[in-house]
Amino acid sequence: MRRVLALAALLLLGGCAGWQTPLDPAGEQARHIYSFLELILWVCGFFYLLVLAFLGWGLWRARRRSAEGPEIAPADRGLDRALIVWSALIVVGLTVLTLGAFFVDRALANAQARETLTVRVTGQQWWWRIRYRDPATGRWIETANELHLPLGKTTRIELGSADVIHSLWIPNLAGKTDVIPGHPNAFDVTPRAPGWYRGQCAEFCGAQHAHMALWVKVEPPAAFARWLAGQARSAASPADPEQARGMKLVTQGPCAACHTLRGTPADGRPGPDLTHLASRRSLAAGTLPMTRGALQGWIARPQAVKPGTLMPAVSLSPTDLDAVAAYLAALQ
Amino acid sequence: MERAGRCASLLLLLALAACSREERDFRTTAAQTAPHGPADPRIPFYQGNLYQVSQGGRYFSWYGCGGCHGEKAQGVLKLSDDAWKHGGAFDQVYRSIAAHAEGPRIPPEQLWQITAYVRDMHTHTPAKLRRQDLDEKGEPTGDSWSGPVR
Repeated sequence: MRRVLALAALLLLGGCAGWQTPLDPAGEQARHIYSFLELILWVCGFFYLLVLAFLGWGLWRARRRSAEGPEIAPADRGLDRALIVWSALIVVGLTVLTLGAFFVDRALANAQARETLTVRVTGQQWWWRIRYRDPATGRWIETANELHLPLGKTTRIELGSADVIHSLWIPNLAGKTDVIPGHPNAFDVTPRAPGWYRGQCAEFCGAQHAHMALWVKVEPPAAFARWLAGQARSAASPADPEQARGMKLVTQGPCAACHTLRGTPADGRPGPDLTHLASRRSLAAGTLPMTRGALQGWIARPQAVKPGTLMPAVSLSPTDLDAVAAYLAALQ
Repeated sequence: MERAGRCASLLLLLALAACSREERDFRTTAAQTAPHGPADPRIPFYQGNLYQVSQGGRYFSWYGCGGCHGEKAQGVLKLSDDAWKHGGAFDQVYRSIAAHAEGPRIPPEQLWQITAYVRDMHTHTPAKLRRQDLDEKGEPTGDSWSGPVR
């Protein structure tokens, strides 16, 4: 039993490593929260050790006394003084923690003055709709499940929900914020290290809550501007006859009832924008890697991959499915 | 006191029985064809299950049905009065929806769910119908969308 418990504790520790942890902050906001965590750890650790030390001392005294013989009357005066010191220590400890929380909150709110970019993120069952403003035209550019952020710049993330309460948490970059229907929430993020980070819905939102993730890419401002300009373009034209057939099936068939491909007749709103689908890292909100095979499997049997998903199974013949997947996999 | 406790537990048990009305069965193979007739054996799976009916309501607003069949709809457009121009049997309603402008684009299973919802609409209170309208208005509508964040 003890061995099993020890093993379980070890496994828990393993959860602290990797690319989704608040213990490895890569953004200013996460750094503030992490330093506050350290402060809590030090203050609480100090009091914990103090209590244990007094407990040990008391046990040691009691054992020595029972060996010596009859009970000695307790020294009330000493106890009174110790109690006053103890209460003062608690007041100091709580004051330090309160001040810490105040300064962290203030630092998080201060970032507002430096915002250079606004991104709207809408939680839906079970994926993230992401919208950027096109700096050239002011129109909305839509993508899904992949957030790109410029390194060292402060981005304001406005949150909305299309159905139930979700919560967006990208542990390496910022604290979690609830996504509430009818109530706009927002938070700021200032990434300080380039790379890929993973975010996850952190509020149970239905059957596929666990498969509601998003990838965040932090890149230098120039690379970010290039990416945004790429996303603003219309969908790529088909390169061969098979892709052309796939395009016809996608933009005139059932896919277009829910999905938008900018520059084509497909303008459905309920599902994710597919204009640059193949440029994303994952499929179905972090459920599958973005490969041609995964794409084809997902279209053929969405309920087998993500039971309960609102993406319906569409009957397509194998050759039609091939053509659809070929077209979608080329949408860079 | 003991009697009250017994009554409460009986009520709780009764309430539990209602859960089966909302059961979410994701494993059952979804309907891929239109209903064969008013007695198609697949009908109870959709019409008798509140989860399937509410999914139909979701698609009802996603596909913009409320634009014409919303709270203010009158006459033949009004779906909440249980009066049917092309017949109110499941397969008849299904066929009318499938013949609509958006119909051919909607996959069969969603048509089943929308049909179940539309046939359920006569039980809806005015407040519920208004809620459906509000939900539809809040849907973001692409580039032109400038409303509040949802």
